[in-house]
Amino acid sequence: MGETVAFLIEAKGLTKSFGGLRAVKGVDFHLNAGEIVGLIGPNGAGKTTLFNLVSGIYPPDEGTLSFRGMEISSLKPFEICRLGIARTFQIVRPFLKMSCLENVLIGIIGRSDHREGREAKEEEARNLLKFVGLGGHEKNLANNLTLIEKKRLEMARALATRPSLLLLDEVLAGLNPSEILQALELIEILRTQLKVTIFWIEHVMGAIMKASDRIIVLDQGQKIQEGKPQEVVNNSKVIEAYLGESDA
Amino acid sequence: MKNKQQKRNLNPFWIGSFFILLALFPPFFLSQYWLHVMIISLFYVMMASSWNLIAGFTGQVSFAHAAFSGIGAYVSGMLAVFLGLSPWLAIFVGTGASAFLGLGLGYLCIRMGGIYLSLTTLGFSEILRIIITNEDQWTRGTMGLQTPGFFAEYSKISYYYLFLIATILLLIFIYKIIHSEIGLTFRAVLNDELAASSSGINTVKVRILAFTVSSAMAGLAGGLYGHYLMLITPDIPSLGQMFLVLAMAVIGGMGSFIGPIVGSFLLEILSEYIRIYGEYHVLLFGLVALVMARFAPEGVVGIWKRRWGKRWLS
Repeated sequence: MGETVAFLIEAKGLTKSFGGLRAVKGVDFHLNAGEIVGLIGPNGAGKTTLFNLVSGIYPPDEGTLSFRGMEISSLKPFEICRLGIARTFQIVRPFLKMSCLENVLIGIIGRSDHREGREAKEEEARNLLKFVGLGGHEKNLANNLTLIEKKRLEMARALATRPSLLLLDEVLAGLNPSEILQALELIEILRTQLKVTIFWIEHVMGAIMKASDRIIVLDQGQKIQEGKPQEVVNNSKVIEAYLGESDA
Repeated sequence: MKNKQQKRNLNPFWIGSFFILLALFPPFFLSQYWLHVMIISLFYVMMASSWNLIAGFTGQVSFAHAAFSGIGAYVSGMLAVFLGLSPWLAIFVGTGASAFLGLGLGYLCIRMGGIYLSLTTLGFSEILRIIITNEDQWTRGTMGLQTPGFFAEYSKISYYYLFLIATILLLIFIYKIIHSEIGLTFRAVLNDELAASSSGINTVKVRILAFTVSSAMAGLAGGLYGHYLMLITPDIPSLGQMFLVLAMAVIGGMGSFIGPIVGSFLLEILSEYIRIYGEYHVLLFGLVALVMARFAPEGVVGIWKRRWGKRWLS
């Protein structure tokens, strides 16, 4: 078992079906601590389902999932979160009728650390809001934010749980080029300063290729390719999956 | 910044103290009849506020709240009648029984949300009412169980103060809960259970906790009510009672602290004026609650907040 511990997270043969649809079929992958790994694939490839398996929203039908050498596939989402895996959602899910500060506080409370007082927690929440660029929005209801601000709020809430692995589901979608650059900077800071490992789904190819150390490609629930961004981009299978078979 | 915050924090305290002071006077000028109305209103404040804790704050619309007050009333009443236990002690056993059954029902309803939870609690409520009606050896069925009161000498004034103290303590407890971290997790579960769970909140624990605490409160309110009326009937755990409590919370304003308090006084006093129409007053309240739920989901308090600012209503 020595080699399993070396990876931050390792999945073997992950499979999940919904009725007759096999959304994820026998996927193996691993992440090393400190890596930024991109997960790409055409619509319906099973990317979000894979995230839902890792974050415990669904238990896998088959396969194993170990985090720091510990089997986590049967754990509940809050237990997985407390171990250090946090996520954002593709379709944003902030607590709409709560203030931004309260949204982030939930992530802090979720750590279930009773040593800190309320004041310290609120201070930390305020700092996190500033970090994602939402300083001054503390008392605003999450419902009143724009979509992009809601995404940032979700990021702050996820960071509040002090994750060692962060799953980001399409955080760049809908951002303009300068906002994408800001977001990429933020992600780089997460890695270098907070030592967070990042696993992210993205359709903005330029950005994910530039910022990722490795790319995993899913198609129809299966992993079809894995490697450095340049290798993946030029791989014929990947091009086929995105564009269909070539006639040439 | 700090100063401003302190000012904001003091506000509810002074407002609360003002109303408590005001509440000390009614016995000096109210007739026996209106004193009775006030006591019943205080009972409904306890019921509606504790129901609001599960329905308004965690989104579990339970129809078993009146049933839990019935459990509190009957357990306490039967202990006093058959074992000669002092009502002062018996109500706490009744509260404990409600908490225990609340824990059980809450546990059963974990995987349910929305309408399924409502239907299950509705079923529980009816089953309990039928058992109470039929086990007349113990409960005296529809005849009602005669129970001893709290005081050797019957006095509405004593009961008024007893209910006032109980209500104030209960409201302080509820206020503390909703303004604590636990209260925040309640609202997170109401807003988005999956997102709360993914943020490290044990949502199952939160929901069961809310259910248990709220049921215990209903049990306490029911116990007090039974020993005040000195006659416990299956009307206490009935659905009619449940809908009245629901209407009070909805019309007053669900999900706010003040809402159910305002709603309880409003509807109880109003129902004294339209009592001549008999059972139709529940129908009227139902209609008003429906209209409110559609057009002003934040209730009377919500309307007030929008018009006159929200200085002391949160």
